[in-house]
Amino acid sequence: MAVYKRRYNPYSGTLTPQWSRFFVLTRYAFAELFKSRFFVILLILSLVPILFFAGYIFVANNKTVQLLMQMRSAGLFSVENEYFIMVMIAQTQAAFLLNCWVGPVLIAGDLTNGALPLFLSRPFSRADYVLGKLAVLGLLLSAVTWIPGLLLFSLQAGLARNGWIWSHIWMVVPIIFCSAIWILMLSLISLAVSASVKLRIVATGVIFISFFVPAGLGEMYNSIMDTYWGRLLNFTEMFRLILTKGFRERTGLLGPLSRNEIPVPAAWGVLILVCLLSLVILNARLKAREVVRG
Amino acid sequence: MMNATIELNGLEVQLGNRTILHGLTGVLKSRAIGLLGPNGAGKSTLINTLLGFHSASKGSARVLGLDSHTNGNALRSLVGYMPENEAFISKMSGVRFVRYMAEISGLPPDQAMERAHEAFVYVGLGEARYRPVGTYSLGMKQLAKLAQAIAHGPKLLILDEPTNGMDPPARKRLIELIREIREASDVSLLLSSHLLHDVEETCDEVLILRNGQIASICNLVEERRANRKFLELETIGAEATFTSTLESLGCECAVFSNGRIKVVMPDSMEIREVFKVAADRGVQIRRMNHRRDSLEDIFLNAMEQTGAADGRI
Repeated sequence: MAVYKRRYNPYSGTLTPQWSRFFVLTRYAFAELFKSRFFVILLILSLVPILFFAGYIFVANNKTVQLLMQMRSAGLFSVENEYFIMVMIAQTQAAFLLNCWVGPVLIAGDLTNGALPLFLSRPFSRADYVLGKLAVLGLLLSAVTWIPGLLLFSLQAGLARNGWIWSHIWMVVPIIFCSAIWILMLSLISLAVSASVKLRIVATGVIFISFFVPAGLGEMYNSIMDTYWGRLLNFTEMFRLILTKGFRERTGLLGPLSRNEIPVPAAWGVLILVCLLSLVILNARLKAREVVRG
Repeated sequence: MMNATIELNGLEVQLGNRTILHGLTGVLKSRAIGLLGPNGAGKSTLINTLLGFHSASKGSARVLGLDSHTNGNALRSLVGYMPENEAFISKMSGVRFVRYMAEISGLPPDQAMERAHEAFVYVGLGEARYRPVGTYSLGMKQLAKLAQAIAHGPKLLILDEPTNGMDPPARKRLIELIREIREASDVSLLLSSHLLHDVEETCDEVLILRNGQIASICNLVEERRANRKFLELETIGAEATFTSTLESLGCECAVFSNGRIKVVMPDSMEIREVFKVAADRGVQIRRMNHRRDSLEDIFLNAMEQTGAADGRI
């Protein structure tokens, strides 16, 4: 029907599959994000380290370049688990910054002017809503963590030959799983914050606080109680512990692991607990209507 | 047999520790239903329950034959909802906002775009469709909310206080639109309002709530069809023969103190016949009010009544 014909017409066309509708949110969120020049610059900057890491792999596998650079030491260029730990740490930090910029606006924009009931009055559940928003951060943070991680792995596998890929294939698992838990935790924290705080700058601050304040409190607890379990509140350290163990590293870039080491299952437990806590906050905040208690 | 638009079976809703809706029971079969009640009567809670936002603590509600709790998703796919409060995404342009909502309802992107433009032109915001919704006036925001509610072509349109904050011309235009939508298609309508005039102009049946209970269910079409005429008389010298003569002409009479009589006249009867009877019987009519039974009367009557047998008047 032409738009100039002013009359109400029921819709009788086809409908998209129900399971795919969460992706509408993701698509619209990305469209809004890419309107921001700052976001594009931030995304590009997040990927810049990958170029250096790729360059390192190229040099490590190219004897001619090493000769030209007069770096003949065999151990200087090694692409082993330490290298991938470094890649993952750099990229997960980039993901953290990206998340701090993108996360706070995802839900707050819908809550500020009460748009949530419009979503939920459609055949669209709260789980669909959260999934749609989570997919934004999931895809975005994947693009700067495990996807480039796997690309670097593939590059090294292609250049090294001699069966390097088969002796190192196990690294694919920590690259994906460690990134996944970090992405999931970051995404859920920032969605929970976004559902609770409407102002972007405040929400960004709250995300920072949610990482640094518990870590500080944990250290205080350690000092007062003369223990090391307070480190459980340092989420970044718990992630690095999982990462290090995942890459079968005992010493190296991060220094020797101390005797008072938090068990890895406990570290996993903390990160999963943070995810669950964020889900509880989301569940409480994402209501179509305010429930008046009385 | 025609399905009921809304069917309430002992519906009770609790929010926190408070019971908001107390065992509502009733069947509303008309295509255009008005939901009336004073503030805090439970109108919005009922709408939220019908949409599945609140769960019933007891009983059930069926809309278009679908249980609001167990078939919530299927039901919401048939519904277009215009909430009472602000509901928009301020940075999005109007047409993009409506397209977005239509896509969430399941329309493919190209269809959603076309329908969003149609809906915007239809509600009269064609010129403003590329402006961010946040820059709209209150009346325009109401129209944008209506546009998002109709863009996906729902079978039931739920409008919660649609004319809130609108100036009289905008209000009139919106009421006209609602009537057009009702008449141009088979879409059903549930309109909640505290403005009786809005409900009277757009609805065929009203559900009146008071303190979370059904005060009345009234079929306005039947009321209009009955077209009962009321006369309020103040008389001197009126005897029983005066009222019995009027009753013999088909009137219903109620006699009060000080010569006050209420008369319900049949359609066929003219007022001059009352004067004629009065003159024949030597009755002086000192004062006469002539009016039809309006929704306001029905509403006020329902508010005054307590514990009507089945809620129907």
